[in-house]
Amino acid sequence: MKTTLLLATFSFLFGLFPAKAQIVIVNSSVRVTEISKSDLSDIFTGGSTHFKDGSHAIPVTLKSGPTHESFLKEYIGRPEKLFRGSWMALVFAGQANMPEAFNTEAELLRFIESKPGAIGYIGKPEESAKIRVLTVK
Amino acid sequence: MKFLFTIGFAVSLSTGGLVAQDIRWPQFHGFVTEAFSYTGGNNYLGMNTNAGSPAWIEAAVNGNEQITDNLRIGAQVHLTKLGAFGASGLDLDWALADFRIKEWLGVRAGKVKIRWGLYNDLQDADPGYVWSLLPEPIYAVDWRATNLSQMGAELYGKVGLPSRVGALEYSIYYGYYRYAAHDGYMETYKEEGLNFRDLPGGITPGFDLRWRTPVKGFTLGGSVMLYNAKGNLVNGSFREPLTYWPTYYVQYNRKKFFASAQYVRLVQYNDVATDGQPFSSSLQDTRSWFVMTGYNLTNKLRLGVYRTQYFVAGADLSNPANYFRDWTFSGRYDFNVHFYCKLEGHLIDGTGGGFYGFDNPNGLLPQTKLLVAKAGFIF
Repeated sequence: MKTTLLLATFSFLFGLFPAKAQIVIVNSSVRVTEISKSDLSDIFTGGSTHFKDGSHAIPVTLKSGPTHESFLKEYIGRPEKLFRGSWMALVFAGQANMPEAFNTEAELLRFIESKPGAIGYIGKPEESAKIRVLTVK
Repeated sequence: MKFLFTIGFAVSLSTGGLVAQDIRWPQFHGFVTEAFSYTGGNNYLGMNTNAGSPAWIEAAVNGNEQITDNLRIGAQVHLTKLGAFGASGLDLDWALADFRIKEWLGVRAGKVKIRWGLYNDLQDADPGYVWSLLPEPIYAVDWRATNLSQMGAELYGKVGLPSRVGALEYSIYYGYYRYAAHDGYMETYKEEGLNFRDLPGGITPGFDLRWRTPVKGFTLGGSVMLYNAKGNLVNGSFREPLTYWPTYYVQYNRKKFFASAQYVRLVQYNDVATDGQPFSSSLQDTRSWFVMTGYNLTNKLRLGVYRTQYFVAGADLSNPANYFRDWTFSGRYDFNVHFYCKLEGHLIDGTGGGFYGFDNPNGLLPQTKLLVAKAGFIF
């Protein structure tokens, strides 16, 4: 018991089993079931507009909050201002639209449920037949 | 400054409700900047900078509407006022329809930004970078208006390569352009004694190819812009044969660190016929490069430094008019997502770019120190 507790504490402290603070979800129309970190980053930074299966990808984000910050840190590698700044650069160059940004996870979830091709992230699991969780490799 | 902040607050309040509503509206974004420039040495960029000049103001507003998943339409108007340069009103920066058929194939048509080098399509979007002034020999703020965009079409896309090799991004375009009425090109021609009856223009095809390497954040690329021009002088004719403007670049962005470098060689012929005489040709062969790097110290503060150089190949390099060297030190602080400021120092050696006779009537000194302080609002 003591050993298990020690191992658990060690794992937590040194991040051997880091808990994901966000779950990547897509509209149920999206046929892919997993996505690489690199492809996910490309979609959320304007580098890619399609999933690997060729269908159109529509990234949506939260405006702020721990889930948003955690997502940017883990998958994009940029803080909010640089993330937003890089999208703004594409917008001013006439190359893209800013992704929709939502105040709450409930709003974001509702949008993803209703929009084929939409991809976003939430902080805790949600039961919905209109979304699917993507495994990030 | 008070005016800038008042406009900023008003626009941020008015646009705040447009996001994430059930009814989708076209997206509107824009920015306003105001800069104060002070030099020791020569007056710079058409401003009275020796006395300190607030005469550099920029603003842009764009609107985008996603008609379908694949089709977007949009337009942007831009205002640049840079001392004696810049339009007297708003310029149409770009206005296009963008149809993304596949990941590897998209088409933009209308007035389309030209993708050339690392920053040509971004250079009039101040919020997009750390610097107040991009390297003058390659992205001259006083000359940029002419080659920012073209009236025509662009094919673009991203082609995935076999795993672990990365991806290629391309842009191929063909269109027409016209010299901007109030920029450094026209002022330089004027100072060389060429007075135009109308603005010269021509075709501008070209392409850009960049390799997103498997090393995350590391990009290699090259571009070629071609252009020619014809124009009518008050006392004759002007023409530029088709000119190749190649450039090569490398960029590395990783976490808080960023670095890039670019090299350009330009060989340009100008043919002029005046007062019924046959065309006489002049050649200019120039080389330019920059190396820049920076670091995001905090989420709000970014610092950067670059070195840039330009020289006329084969010319007498003891003459400051034939070269331009600049050490630049820059800092940018973002107060929040809407407001930012920049402070930048330049140590300029040579007069090969950005200096004009009309605001330096007593001649040019070989060296100039420049300080630029800029405030910006973005929405």
